[in-house]
Amino acid sequence: MTNKQEPTLALFYCQNVPDSGVGERQLLEEKYGPRLRLFPIPCSGRLEPLHLLRALEELADAAYVITCPGDQCRYFEGNARAKKRVERTKQILSDIGLETDRVGIIMGTKEAAKGLPTLAAEILDTTTQLGISPVFAKKT
Amino acid sequence: MITAEQKPIREIRDMIAPYKRILVLGCGSCVAECAAGGEKETAMLASALRMAAKMDQEDFDIHEMTLDRQCVNDFILQLDDVIDQYDAVLSLGCGAGVQAVADMYQEIPVIPALNTEFLGQTKDQGYWVENCLGCGDCMLYHFGGICPLARCSKQILNGPCGGSMDGRCEINPEIDCAWQMIIDRLSKFQALERLEKIYPPKDWSKKQGSGPRKIIREDQRK
Ligand code: SF4
Ligand code: SF4
Repeated sequence: MTNKQEPTLALFYCQNVPDSGVGERQLLEEKYGPRLRLFPIPCSGRLEPLHLLRALEELADAAYVITCPGDQCRYFEGNARAKKRVERTKQILSDIGLETDRVGIIMGTKEAAKGLPTLAAEILDTTTQLGISPVFAKKT
Repeated sequence: MITAEQKPIREIRDMIAPYKRILVLGCGSCVAECAAGGEKETAMLASALRMAAKMDQEDFDIHEMTLDRQCVNDFILQLDDVIDQYDAVLSLGCGAGVQAVADMYQEIPVIPALNTEFLGQTKDQGYWVENCLGCGDCMLYHFGGICPLARCSKQILNGPCGGSMDGRCEINPEIDCAWQMIIDRLSKFQALERLEKIYPPKDWSKKQGSGPRKIIREDQRK
C-alpha cells in the first residue's frame, strides 16, 4: 500500500439509502475503480469502530458511513449508534495523530434524500482533498 | 465483575516503544463485558497502534489474540506456542490478568494497556458502577443488599450522615445517598429493625494489612 497514487474511499452504507441497489453499486465501481470501495451493510448500526479502523489501516485514505435519515432507521436506532461509533473512531484517530476527517458519517434527511451515487461523489471530493493518508506514506 | 478502562494511547505507545514484536492480548471475561479489553477492543487497539507506527515510520510487528480468561493458567497456556515470537505482551486483562501472564512467562515483559478500576455492576448499556470493595466479610444482609462501604461516600455503617438530602449524597450530589437506599430497601421487606443495632467500625484486617489475600480450597486442588 505504499505506492498509492490516488486516495481511496471506503464507503459503508445502509441498504436503506436511496439508489443503493446492486445495479447502482456496479455502476459506481466501474466509474471510480479502486478509488471507491463499497461496503453495503444491512443497517448502519452494524458498523463498529473496528471496521473503520481496519479500512484505514489496510486500504483506505478515508472511511465513511452513510446512514438512512434520522428517524427512518428500520431498526429504530441503528443510525444513532453509528454516529456514536464514528465519534469514538474519531477520538482514536485523534489519539494517534491522524486527521479526524478521515472518518465521517452522512445522515440524510427525509426531505432532501440524496442517493448513493450523489453522496459517493461528494465524499470522494472530500477524500481527494484529504489526500493520501500518512498511514500509507512512503518510507524515506 | 472487574471493570477497567483503556489507558491513553500515548502512554501505551511510550511503554511499548523499546520492543519490536508485540502481542496485544485481550481477555474475554470481565474486561470484555465492560468493553475495555475484549476481542473487539483488542483488535481496535492493535489496529490503532499499527497505524500509529506506520505514520511514524516505526518498525513494529503487532499481532493480537484474545484468551477466554487471562487470569487462569489453563487459558494462559494457549500462549505457549506463540510467546517465543514476541518481545513483549501488551495485556488488556485486568491487573490480575497482567500479573498471571507475567507469572507464567517470567522472561517477557507484560505491559498493562488498561487501568483496572473497581468491582462493579453493569447498570445499563455503557454504564458501570462500583458496588463492592471485596472487604472479606460481607455485610449486605444487614443493609438490605446495598453496600455502604462501596456506595456511601463516608463509608459509614450507622448512617445516614447529617448531610443526606432528598435522597442525594452531600459529598457528591450526582449519586444517590446509599443510606437513603438502605432504609428504603429495608422498609420494603419490613426489616428496618436491622438498623437498630449499632455496627462497630469495620474490621479491615480481612481485606488488607497482611499482604495479598489468598483462598485455598483443598477439595478443588489437584
Ligand atoms: S460488605 Fe460491601 S465491600 Fe464487603 S463484600 Fe459485601 S458488598 Fe463487598
Ligand atoms: S449523604 Fe448518604 S451517601 Fe453521602 S456520605 Fe452521607 S450517608 Fe453517605
